Amino acid sequence: MKKILRWGLSIVCICWLWPAAGFANENSEWFECHSDEGLTKESTDNILKTEITEFLYVDEEKFNHSVHNINGITCVDCHSDIEELNYDEEVPHEQYLKAVCCASCHEEAGDDFKNSVHMKMRNKGITMTCYACHGYHYVQHMESASVAERENSICLKCHNPYQFHDWLPSRDSHFAYVECVVCHAPDVPRHINLKLYDLVTDSFYKSDKLFKVLGMEPEQFMGTIDANKDGLIDAAEFDNLVLLLKQKNIHAVFRAELVADINSIAHHVNRGTAEKTCQNCHSAESPYFNAVSLIFSKDDGTVERYNVARPVLESYHVSHFYLLAGTRMKLMDKIGIFLLAGGACAVFIHFTARVLTIPLRKKKDQDEA
Amino acid sequence: MTSEKEKMIYVHSAPVRVWHWINAFGFVLLILTGLQIRYAEMLNLMPLSDAISLHNYVGFAVIFDYLLWLVYYVGSGKVRIYIPDLRQVVTLAVKQVKYYGYGFFVGKPNPHAMTPDNKFNALQQQAYLMIMFVLLPAQMISGVFLWKIKGYSEYINLLGGIKVIDTIHVVLFFFFTTFILIHCYLATLGHTPLAHFKAMFTGYEEHH
Ligand code: HEC
Ligand code: HEC
Ligand code: HEC
Ligand code: HEC
Ligand code: HEC
Ligand code: HEC
Ligand code: HEM
Repeated sequence: MKKILRWGLSIVCICWLWPAAGFANENSEWFECHSDEGLTKESTDNILKTEITEFLYVDEEKFNHSVHNINGITCVDCHSDIEELNYDEEVPHEQYLKAVCCASCHEEAGDDFKNSVHMKMRNKGITMTCYACHGYHYVQHMESASVAERENSICLKCHNPYQFHDWLPSRDSHFAYVECVVCHAPDVPRHINLKLYDLVTDSFYKSDKLFKVLGMEPEQFMGTIDANKDGLIDAAEFDNLVLLLKQKNIHAVFRAELVADINSIAHHVNRGTAEKTCQNCHSAESPYFNAVSLIFSKDDGTVERYNVARPVLESYHVSHFYLLAGTRMKLMDKIGIFLLAGGACAVFIHFTARVLTIPLRKKKDQDEA
Repeated sequence: MTSEKEKMIYVHSAPVRVWHWINAFGFVLLILTGLQIRYAEMLNLMPLSDAISLHNYVGFAVIFDYLLWLVYYVGSGKVRIYIPDLRQVVTLAVKQVKYYGYGFFVGKPNPHAMTPDNKFNALQQQAYLMIMFVLLPAQMISGVFLWKIKGYSEYINLLGGIKVIDTIHVVLFFFFTTFILIHCYLATLGHTPLAHFKAMFTGYEEHH
């Protein structure tokens, strides 16, 4: 078994000669071994039942940025069957570790995941782990992720949505603007994220950059923008925000997307329960668009979030989002009714005059005859 | 009988008649499906997804029909009948307005006599020129953009976003709906209420 580890490496590890009983709860200690990109072990693939080489490398830089490290979770909080490191051994801990149980910390997610096709397929003998979707060492906060980022990092790893959804027109628009779980876990709370897209640099404005340009702290933002202090940026206040941005020379547009809240109900993906009724979204009363928020991403994947009133979606400030029937501009309808009524009036008046003047023309015809 | 025949003049050639009725039928369908799309929560003519696919198919039929029209008129040089004569257009237009507003009621003859080479009166010329070369193309192009938003996103963004495109499409929709209403009414102002309609089927207009 010991042959399995690459020679050079094991030597490095052994030569370190750490105090035998030193138990590593500092993450840095683990990287003495696991920062080596060549560190591998042989094992059997549990599906294909063949010998495979597993890489044991952990990218320290990326791990340090993960949500778990930031929240002080160490290697052994997850690999909890490692109780001590014994440096007298070539490998200071068991080589074959138990599966990590994410649900031991994420209880709610664990419970909600039980109500999911991906869990129920255990009956067929296929086990899907939490980390098949989320990954493990480099988990990030998902709040600031765009629809595309969320889909790419989760569902699209396994599914090709173009194989299904033949009934859905403009599939590319839907997949770009509606996160899969908004339809597939229809009970998950959802909201529209409005993000400021910088036309000069072709990227989304980050929180730190924006507030530097605005010359204020994130906490002061609502105080400045929300004039009537109802905690909601309404259409008039939004106009002022746009004006403020223009004054600060920010050339940007607002982009909107329909995403799920970061909520463990998102795990309720089941067969045959997905949202299929177009009118539930494509109507002016759609409940899908009640919650709207303006977000600015921070580097750790969290966001500054400010609540926005729904009618802002109908404004031209959100020029890159238009939901058929759902966010239609009421002003257009008024213009339309005005045009139609004008036309109908003209026809009606002319027609009345035409009927009333029939005798006139009859008389003229008789005179001529 | 022969005298009757002599009074008839051939104003609408077969390609024009075919084009016209495809276009008219297409417009009615586009308006109905368009209304269903825009007012999904108020109307129940058909399911939204059917309305959308029907609207798209008919939209492309109308675009194809428009191209037929363009090729026929530009190719044959007949497009001239759409171009107003700049020296006379104002006086002629005023005359025409007076006719519709007064002369018609008292039974005066139409100041514009229809001939194959001079089919449209001055008002018609201006309206149709604008419609066929500006408004309808704008309606079709905005429609095609709305059909594949992701695919045309570059052009759409260049024009200021999907909402701008949609506004164009909707405003023109209201314009065309109003236009068709008035168009149908004006078509009853021939020397008999159905004369112009018959002409668009047979090609022959009675001459007076
Ligand atoms: C959030 C929980 C979590 C934390 C924290 C964590 N791991 Fe893991 N680790 C996992 C999971 C899950 C696996 C995958 C197990 C599997 O594939 O069966 C794994 C697998 C591994 C593997 C096997 C190789 C691989 O990448 O699949 C190594 C080596 C490893 N971890 C080392 C570490 C080290 C070193 C640390 C601390 C720097 C650490 N882990 C922290 C959850 C964690
Ligand atoms: C089929 C893919 C999938 C699997 C498997 C999965 N998740 Fe999730 N998880 C998601 C999605 C999607 C979200 C919602 C995030 C979003 O809106 O993008 C989410 C959200 C979460 C969140 C954040 C929400 C919250 O409750 O705070 C946690 C934590 C989480 N999952 C843990 C788990 C755990 C633990 C498991 C295993 C029991 C698991 N996930 C299995 C897809 C999955
Ligand atoms: C020792 C406890 C612990 C274990 C085990 C653990 N996590 Fe976490 N996890 C946390 C903590 C703490 C956070 C940060 C929560 C927060 O900031 O709200 C977190 C955050 C997350 C998030 C981010 C949710 C968001 O805000 O977007 C995901 C996803 C996640 N964990 C998945 C996993 C997965 C998958 C595993 C198993 C491989 C796992 N966790 C194992 C403690 C744990
Ligand atoms: C790790 C791979 C993987 C990921 C990631 C994944 N799925 Fe699945 N999904 C599967 C497998 C495997 C099945 C089960 C097929 C079966 O039971 O026949 C399945 C089943 C489904 C089904 C049931 C329909 C069917 O074909 O049986 C839906 C719906 C579904 N997934 C949606 C999603 C969504 C939405 C996401 C993202 C949140 C997602 N999946 C992420 C692998 C995955
Ligand atoms: C507009 C809502 C909507 C969106 C967005 C959506 N889906 Fe679906 N999807 C459905 C509906 C409805 C079905 C039909 C099956 C059902 O009723 O569950 C379906 C079917 C599926 C199936 C096959 C399920 C089966 O039972 O055969 C998979 C897999 C799937 N979707 C994955 C995805 C993925 C991955 C995404 C994101 C890229 C996605 N879907 C986005 C509504 C949606
Ligand atoms: C979960 C909500 C949801 C459901 C359900 C849904 N859509 Fe959409 N639809 C959207 C969103 C969001 C967009 C993207 C808006 C944009 O492009 O700015 C969209 C875009 C479209 C577009 C592209 C045109 C446009 O204005 O963006 C069409 C066409 C469309 N949907 C038709 C349908 C039809 C037909 C159905 C039912 C079969 C349906 N949608 C179901 C949310 C939904
Ligand atoms: C000529 C080619 C046309 C094409 C290709 C076309 C295409 C489309 C498409 C794809 C949509 C969906 C809108 C969207 O996705 O946001 C749409 C909407 C609509 N179309 Fe058309 N269209 C055409 C012509 C017309 C015409 C002639 C009319 C009416 C006179 C019309 C009226 C409408 C209306 C009312 C809507 C709903 C718009 C909304 O709610 O915002 N269309 N059209």
